[in-house]
Amino acid sequence: MKATTLDRIAKAVQERPEQLMKAREKGAKVVGYFCSYMPEEIVHALGLIPVRLGRGGSDDLVELGGRYIGKGTCVFLRESVGLFAEGKEPFSKACDLVAVATSCVQMFRLAEVVKHFFNIPTLVLGVPRNFYLPEGRAFFQKEVENFAAQLEEFAGNKLDAAALAESVELYRNIRRTLQQIYDFQAADPAPISWREVFDVIHAGFYLDRAEYYRLLQDLLSELGTMSEALGTTDERPRILLSGTNIPPGDTKLINLIEEAGGRIVGDDLCSGLRFISGIDAKAATLAGLADAYIDKIPCATLPYLPSLDSDRRLENLAMIIDRYKPEGMIYHTLRFCDAFTFKAAETKRIMNNKISFMEIHTEYADSDIEAIRTRIDAFIEVLEGRRRAKISKAAVVG
Amino acid sequence: MEASTGVYCAGVDIGAVGAKAVIMSGGKIVGSAVVPTAVNAEKSGLSALEVALKMAGIMRSDLKQVVATGYGRRTIAFADKTITEIGCHARGAYSLNPKVRTIIDMGGQDCKAIRIDEEGRVTEFIMNDKCASGTGRFLEVMSRVFEIPVSEMGPLALQAEKMVPMSSTCTVFAESEVISLMARGEKPEDIINGVHHAIAQRVAGLLTRVGLEDDVFFSGGVAKNVGMIKALEEIIEKKVVTSSENPQLMGALGAALFAAGRIAL
Repeated sequence: MKATTLDRIAKAVQERPEQLMKAREKGAKVVGYFCSYMPEEIVHALGLIPVRLGRGGSDDLVELGGRYIGKGTCVFLRESVGLFAEGKEPFSKACDLVAVATSCVQMFRLAEVVKHFFNIPTLVLGVPRNFYLPEGRAFFQKEVENFAAQLEEFAGNKLDAAALAESVELYRNIRRTLQQIYDFQAADPAPISWREVFDVIHAGFYLDRAEYYRLLQDLLSELGTMSEALGTTDERPRILLSGTNIPPGDTKLINLIEEAGGRIVGDDLCSGLRFISGIDAKAATLAGLADAYIDKIPCATLPYLPSLDSDRRLENLAMIIDRYKPEGMIYHTLRFCDAFTFKAAETKRIMNNKISFMEIHTEYADSDIEAIRTRIDAFIEVLEGRRRAKISKAAVVG
Repeated sequence: MEASTGVYCAGVDIGAVGAKAVIMSGGKIVGSAVVPTAVNAEKSGLSALEVALKMAGIMRSDLKQVVATGYGRRTIAFADKTITEIGCHARGAYSLNPKVRTIIDMGGQDCKAIRIDEEGRVTEFIMNDKCASGTGRFLEVMSRVFEIPVSEMGPLALQAEKMVPMSSTCTVFAESEVISLMARGEKPEDIINGVHHAIAQRVAGLLTRVGLEDDVFFSGGVAKNVGMIKALEEIIEKKVVTSSENPQLMGALGAALFAAGRIAL
C-alpha cells in the first residue's frame, strides 16, 4: 500500500512549473542552483524562489550539452547544460538567475557555460579546498557574505535578520521531518520505499518550501498510522547506495537493483540523505550558515587533509551502515566524476570490513545496461550466498 | 546434493560468441554442446540444448530442471531459474577442483576475475570494462589481421623467439598498431606473443584488484588457447589450471550443477 500523501506531493510537483510562471508574472524571481553546498536559506530569506536544478538519465541531452561544455565532464553536468540548450525543462527555463556552489571544477565550468552561451545571469559561491584550516573557514564565510550581497542586489532588497531566522528554522524543520520519514523506509516491513523517499527529497528541490513542509508533516503522520498495520517482512537483500550524485531522472541503476531483487535501504548521495542531514546552523546568521555548510558531510570532491581516519564522508557511511543495516554497498561512479572515482578504492578497502562492496562505473547511455545488470545480479547472488552461509553457520552453532 | 541416475537436469550458457549446454544425471555429464550464438539468443540456447539432448539420448521433457546463465540468460523462457555467469563459472570450476580460490573467465565479449571461498561461494568479482579489449573478440580481430584461424594464435605465440610489446589492448587501436609493427618487419609470431602478453597484463590487473590466491583456474573459450595460459602464468607468476575437457563449458556446467541442486532441495 502506498501513502496517499505521496500522490499529493507528486501532483504538487506537476503543478509547480505553472505556479512558478504565475509568480514570475507577478514579479517574483526564481533562483536555480546547483550543488548541495548552496545555503538555500539565504535565497529563501530574500523572498527569492530557490529551485535545485539538474537532471540525469537522458543520453540525448548529454550529447546536446556536450556541444557546449565539452565531452570531458560528467554526464550529469553535460545533461544539465543540455537542459538550458534545449529550453524545454520547466525548472531551468523558469530561472532568472543561476547560482552555483563550486564544490568541483566542473561545477565552476557549468556556471561559465550557462552565462556565456545562454545569457543567464549567474552567481558563483566558492567552496574552499581546505576547510580544516581557519583560513578555509574564513574564506567560505567571506564567500557567503559576498554571495548574499550580490543576491541582495539581484533581489532589490536587504536581508532581514528575522526573515533569515525564519528561513533557517523552516529548513531545519524540513530536514528533521525528512530524516524521520527516511528512517521509515529502512524498517522491516516498511510503509514507504527508499525510492519513494528519494522522490520526496527531490520534490523539495522544486516546491514552495512552506507548502513542502506541510506535506512532509502529513506524510510523516500517515506513515506512523500505516506502520501499525504492516504485513510480512521484506526478505530482499538490503543495499546501500553511495557515490556520485543520482539526480532526478536517472533511474538506470535504481531500476537494475530493484529488478535484480535488491532493496535499497540507505544512501549517502548528495541528492539523497546527504542533502537532508548534517546541516546544523548554530546561529541564524550568514556566518552561522557558512559554518553549518562547511561542517556538513563532505562531497568526495573535498579532500580529507589531516588523515583518512578523520574523513567525515567515511565516518558518515559507517554510521549509515550501523543505522540502516545494509548487507551490500553499491558505489556508483559516473565517468569523469573524478572525485568519487578516485576515492572508490579506499572506500572499498575501508568499508569491506563492514559490508560487501561493488563499484559500478557508468554513464546515462544504455549501451552497458546488460553488462551492469550481470554485475548487479551477481552481487545480489553474493549477498544471498552470505546469508545462507550465516544461516548454515548459525545452524551448526545452534 | 546430486540427483540420482535417471533424473536429468541442464545448464544453458548463452554467451556473446557461443551458446553452451551441459546435461547431467547422477552427478555425471551425459551430454554437452557448444554452438555459435546467433542473432536470436533464445534460439541459440535451444539449439545448443538440442545437440546436448541428442548426445544424452533424451528428450527435452526428460529434463527436471534447467538453469540459464550468460548474457542471454534472461531470454530463455524455458529455464526454471537464471543465475549469473559469475556464480556459474565459480560453481563449475570449484566442482572440478575444490582447491580453486581464484577464477579467470575470458569469454567472447568480457573478462572476469572471481574469488571464491573454501566452500565455493563467490566472495568477490570484477568484470572488465564495457569493451572488447582483452577478450576473445580481441583475439579474433587480431587473428583476422594475421589471416590465420583464431585457434592457431596460441600455438603460434609459443613459437615466438621474442616478445614485441604492444602498447594497446583497445581492439581498434591494436589493429593499427599490429599493422605498423608488421610494416616494421617484426615477425608475426613475435607480435602475436606480444598480443597475448598485452591481454594477460590487463587480466593481471583485474586479478590484483580482486586478490590473487591459489589455485588459479582459467575458464571460458580463451582458456583453450595455450599461448594465453603461458602468458598468464608468466605475468602472475602462478600456475594456471584449466579444464582438460572444455573450459568453454564451465558456465553451463555450473548452471547444470545448480539445476541438480535445485532438484535435491
